[in-house]
Amino acid sequence: MNNLAIKDLLLKMADDALIIGHRNSEWTGIGPILEEDLAFSSMAQDKIGHAQALYSILHETFGEADADTLAFKREEKDFKCCQFVEQPIGEYDFSIVRHFLFDHAELIRYDMLTLSSFQQLAQLARKVKGEIKYHVMHADIFVKKLSLGTEESKARMQSSLNYAWHMALGIFEKGEFEGELASENIFAGEEELKKRWLEKITPILEAAGLKVPLTEDSKIVYGGRKGFHSEYLKPLLDEMCEVVRSDEATAEW
Amino acid sequence: MYGSTNLSEEDARRMNTTVEDPEKLEAFEARIARGEKIEPQDWMPVEYRKQLIRMIEQHAHSEIVGALPEGTWITRAPNFRRKLALIAKVQDEVGHGQLLYSAAETLGKTREEMMNDLLSGKSKYSNVFNYPANTWADIAVIGFLVDGAAIVNQTINSKGSYGPYCRALERICYEESFHLKQGHDNVVYLATGTKHQRAILQDAINRWYRPLLHFFGPPDVQSAHSEKLMKWKVKLASNDDMRNQFLDMYVPKILELDITFPDPNLKKNEDGIWEFSDPDWDEFKRVINGDGPCNAERIAVRKFAEEAGRWVRQALMNPSEKYQVPLA
Amino acid sequence: MSSLDPRVNRLDFKKATDGEVHTNSHLITWEVFHQDKRGKQAVHVGIVHASTPEMALILAKEQYARRGKTTNLWVAKTSDVYTFSTHDEDIFETTPEKTFRDPAFYKVRDRIEKFQNRNKVTI
Repeated sequence: MNNLAIKDLLLKMADDALIIGHRNSEWTGIGPILEEDLAFSSMAQDKIGHAQALYSILHETFGEADADTLAFKREEKDFKCCQFVEQPIGEYDFSIVRHFLFDHAELIRYDMLTLSSFQQLAQLARKVKGEIKYHVMHADIFVKKLSLGTEESKARMQSSLNYAWHMALGIFEKGEFEGELASENIFAGEEELKKRWLEKITPILEAAGLKVPLTEDSKIVYGGRKGFHSEYLKPLLDEMCEVVRSDEATAEW
Repeated sequence: MYGSTNLSEEDARRMNTTVEDPEKLEAFEARIARGEKIEPQDWMPVEYRKQLIRMIEQHAHSEIVGALPEGTWITRAPNFRRKLALIAKVQDEVGHGQLLYSAAETLGKTREEMMNDLLSGKSKYSNVFNYPANTWADIAVIGFLVDGAAIVNQTINSKGSYGPYCRALERICYEESFHLKQGHDNVVYLATGTKHQRAILQDAINRWYRPLLHFFGPPDVQSAHSEKLMKWKVKLASNDDMRNQFLDMYVPKILELDITFPDPNLKKNEDGIWEFSDPDWDEFKRVINGDGPCNAERIAVRKFAEEAGRWVRQALMNPSEKYQVPLA
Repeated sequence: MSSLDPRVNRLDFKKATDGEVHTNSHLITWEVFHQDKRGKQAVHVGIVHASTPEMALILAKEQYARRGKTTNLWVAKTSDVYTFSTHDEDIFETTPEKTFRDPAFYKVRDRIEKFQNRNKVTI
């Protein structure tokens, strides 16, 4: 099997999960309703757990550094997350819209991966599918209720959807190894994922009374998969690594 | 994390003057004396309801305000294990707030009324959360010692007389035993680690020592007493007793790590009672009255959360549904 | 506001004007029942604030099922759950005395042995 291709896939998935989990965890303690505060934080925690599991596959199967080193001791340019997940949490409408758009893509991606010829990933996908299914249930309910709520909430949701749209499409930026991944039945590819994603989310957004933005290819925010990031990733990493960097490298925390 | 049973002088005076229906009062007190719990729909003395609301509400506020100093470090936790544990812990605090607000709701005060009273300063929360978490070591010390102190308090209160509060506390104590373990783990890693790690731990212990002594409230000789609150099993142990129990359990666990407390007079006497220097009870009063290092920020952040979340709550509202006091 | 909390420094405090939680924004409550194992009964564990049954379930999942095993949760609107008044607890008072409903009430071994002794029954 093509190791480079698998490593590339694992790394971008892990980085996406880590960064969105990190971002969403910022809501912990300041959410709009106590129950929702807890639920949103718990899903963020799940994402960070998924990142750890994916980095661990890189470590155990491919001899890369361990999960903590990969997460806490890499340079910004070595991260392969999409720029969508790096964006600040904004207000709750943006965080919910991002959660909806990102998690639908995750659910389909993991669903496709349950059939992967790369066993470790197929196993992980089967294991975490239930968690992501819950994330999507949560996202669907909140998108629906907030979009059909008050005038204000409706306007907020539409405007966040418009704002998020071309960044969200950056999730599906093609990697170097799309052909290899597909031909070796590791992963059917970003194009296929994007197609299924659009089919899945369009009716949900429409039923919520939202207008699905028109896609303009030139506006899609790419670059993350190649290590080009928004202005937000570097400060995020500096903050995340502050404690680790405060002491000698061998310190155990 | 903390339900204070300390009475204001005005409350103490009213406790002793309010007249209740003697027959109902007798049955109520007999039930408590038999070791039975009081449930929400039962008759209860006005002051019993009032003191319980005050205490449970204050406890609930302490949970959600307590989530803030620790939440501060979620984005900076130094590895996966700590990051996941810290998120889980802060979530628990929010969840405990939810359980406690629910218990207080059964007594007839809505969650919104309680939030409003928190934001306006009318109701209090534990002083300990008005101190800053300066370094990662503060997270270790809060997780181990502040939660340790809270468990002492909560375990005792869970033997109280009000059913919904006891049920909430039982679950809370169970979950906080995880907090304590992860806090101890964190403290031990720092204490057995590098020079820098030991230094930030010692610094954190130095700063948290007095707030921890304040945690259980003023010395018994200075507190307003109420025999009634004891009789009604709202208050179950004296401040000094709880403080002593806490010191007994936790001081040795810090000393064994060759970390010290900033008090040359801290020692256990021959009667098994811990002695310590005066922890400045004036400071305690100043902080309770709003003049602590973080009071303003804590309330500002809670205000922000309520304001920023209002449109969400309004969008979720179904105006045709009428709120009813929860059952239990 | 300059804070030790990097998150707080990112918040837009202009939004927090009066900090009042308008009292009309009160969601209703749902009573939550938890089943930890197939074959076991669902047990009441608490409440959640939510506006629809779907949302109540979604939120109850994290509040009441984030540890240990769970097979299902039930929710019911608080206003749809009916109870006796606690003043009527006395209607249950004599029930424990009705021992003829209990299996332990029926003890026939003594009687059988007496009968066997009396009539020299052997088996």
